[in-house]
Amino acid sequence: MLVLTRKVGERIRIGDEVTLQVLEVRGGQVRLGLAAPADVRIYREEIFLAIQGQNQDAQLPDQARLADAAAVWEAYADGKRS
Amino acid sequence: MQTVSVAEESVLPAAHRPDVIHVQSARFGDFEVLADRVLHFPQGLIGFPRMRRFVILDHRPGSPFKWMLCLEQPDVAFAVVEPREMVPDYRAPLELGARTLGVDPADVALFVIVTIPPDPTAMTVNLMAPVVVDVRTRTSRQLVLEDPRCDPSYRVCAPRVAVAAES
Repeated sequence: MLVLTRKVGERIRIGDEVTLQVLEVRGGQVRLGLAAPADVRIYREEIFLAIQGQNQDAQLPDQARLADAAAVWEAYADGKRS
Repeated sequence: MQTVSVAEESVLPAAHRPDVIHVQSARFGDFEVLADRVLHFPQGLIGFPRMRRFVILDHRPGSPFKWMLCLEQPDVAFAVVEPREMVPDYRAPLELGARTLGVDPADVALFVIVTIPPDPTAMTVNLMAPVVVDVRTRTSRQLVLEDPRCDPSYRVCAPRVAVAAES
């Protein structure tokens, strides 16, 4: 891992188009400002990992799994309506 | 003469017209899709940057469930639904989707991915990371909503009904 030391207000360039700026350091927290083109997706890592994990878990093992869920939903929706 | 005509046919038989894509999946069967129905995710799904081309197919008429099949990896498929019926109070982020895709909100279709565990009554939908589609170009993206009300694993069949059904 590349390790750089920066003061508050200083920036780091990642490639030509992404800028990371240290805005504030207080206690154990650092506030960062990020400027990047709209197609660069920026997430807190825990959120990225949560969505990646959900996308992994949602991959269907076979055709029957979706058919089962559809049948369960149909019965559930009927129950709610009646 | 005959050789030429046979060669022509084998190069481009009717079943391999460029506007029809044949997909062979050991898990989900073989199917044909029209090329102009393919969704393009330029950045892939979140955490899966190489899954970029999908098709959405109805499960059966009247069912909210649809298949979202990956063309790069035909053994990967998801169940998706339009959230309106299943989660009526979900505020689908059509405006954000439209801004992200650079289109009019009226041209945005939105789906949520369903996670179906072995016990399907415990199925959940991912309200935090819906899929938005520009219905004109079929350019698509998976959004991430940093809103604590948007649960990535929202249970759609409330357990109380499962209990009531047993009694």
